[in-house]
Amino acid sequence: MADKSNDPVAMWQNMIGEMEKGFNSFANQAMASPEFSKVVNQVGGATAGAQKQLGDLMEKYLVSMNLPSRAQMVSMAERLQSIEGQLNEIKALLHQVHNNSGAPQGGYAAAPKPPRTKRPPPAGGEQK
Amino acid sequence: MNAPAALDLADIPERIQSEVQRAIQRSIKGVEYIASSGPSLGSTPKDILHVRGTMNLYHYRPISDEIYRVPILIVMATTNRGYILDMVPGQSFIEFLLKRGYDVYMLDWTAPKPEEKSLRMEDYVLDFIPDCVRRVQRDSGETDVTVIGYCFGGVLSLLYGSIFADGPMKNLICFTTPVDFREMKLFQNFSDKRYFDVDRLIDSVGNVPPEMILSSFEMLRPASRAASQVQLWENIWNDEYVKSYRMFDRWATDTLPLAGEYFRQITKELMWDNKLYNDVMSVGGRPADISKITVPILHAVAEHDHIVPYDAAKPLIQKIGSTDKEEVMLKGGHVSLVAGANAIKRLWPKLDSWLGERST
Repeated sequence: MADKSNDPVAMWQNMIGEMEKGFNSFANQAMASPEFSKVVNQVGGATAGAQKQLGDLMEKYLVSMNLPSRAQMVSMAERLQSIEGQLNEIKALLHQVHNNSGAPQGGYAAAPKPPRTKRPPPAGGEQK
Repeated sequence: MNAPAALDLADIPERIQSEVQRAIQRSIKGVEYIASSGPSLGSTPKDILHVRGTMNLYHYRPISDEIYRVPILIVMATTNRGYILDMVPGQSFIEFLLKRGYDVYMLDWTAPKPEEKSLRMEDYVLDFIPDCVRRVQRDSGETDVTVIGYCFGGVLSLLYGSIFADGPMKNLICFTTPVDFREMKLFQNFSDKRYFDVDRLIDSVGNVPPEMILSSFEMLRPASRAASQVQLWENIWNDEYVKSYRMFDRWATDTLPLAGEYFRQITKELMWDNKLYNDVMSVGGRPADISKITVPILHAVAEHDHIVPYDAAKPLIQKIGSTDKEEVMLKGGHVSLVAGANAIKRLWPKLDSWLGERST
């Protein structure tokens, strides 16, 4: 087996790994302090509030420009999702009705569900 | 101990040639990487049994000639997509289960819509899971159901199992499921009651944005994203490495928003008051004491889990009421426990041998 102790590529990879571990460990220690929590939450809280205000302002602007707002686009996407959902329900229902009837569809017989008779392999036995 | 051998001078030309070839391949594959889309994920054939808002119930089509009597319902974590358990053929936990003769259903989540911001723990535990269990019973024709919960899906499964302790859950399998939230030290600090105003956050944003969820996960290992990109560049000549990187990277960044009220409850009741560990948890006024669960349980935890540290997961087996209970600690991290090469050789066979004899 090739020795990796002098291999510059292996040394580089090892160095990256060690740097990652070291930085993560250092950052985790810093993040465990109450000061970190205070700063992060102050900044995060302010950002969330500002984002909300900006979103409200942008919506008013888009309405004045006669353009659809994000909320309207989301609403449209929701309607599409709802239609997709209803189609899926119809598909599942048809699938169920078809399976219950046992009638062939498109020239093929409905695939029967496999029997629920499987037993675990004997102890030490291999399973395919 | 032997001193490291000196670099064999005869190997140097061969090594240089190999590195030059890799550098050329990196350039070619690097362009391919940017120009191509990633592998198609979650493609095991399935039927959508039911969709209601954020809730999706799938049934994977059996591929065995005969299947175990008891069907499985997988409850996915509410922060992430279920395709982590169905990556690509050969690396899909779902496909593995189907090949081993299990009948598999999955309760997966999509992003809650703005009007779903009022969803609460009650909706998940007393409505979504019982609704899916009933549909699994109806579809399979069986009364018993095995429930598998991943991460917070495990917490929801525990709450469900403790409230509906009389059935129909026959077996419970949890992957990396926290019970003692005090031990999730960094998340505890991020949500420090003195500084984190959860009410203000939820009242202003509605649902918790996915970027915020992703940042909180990434902050646990702040150097890892940059390091993984360096490793990607080094290995970009290796198609298998790139495929695996893309699969996991896509999944990890495909984080879901969380319903606002649900997040508020998690923060106050679990992160701050640690109610599940303190045996005072209730959902919709119904006590949820995990000592009431008596079905066989397997809890799989990861040795190097940075999201759910072992100390947070350890009390599950101690507190559960079951006599048939087992905790298995496997090498790997929070994600590699359940997906990828590590899971294929460690967790999946263990789960099969444990569950097979309890599924007849």
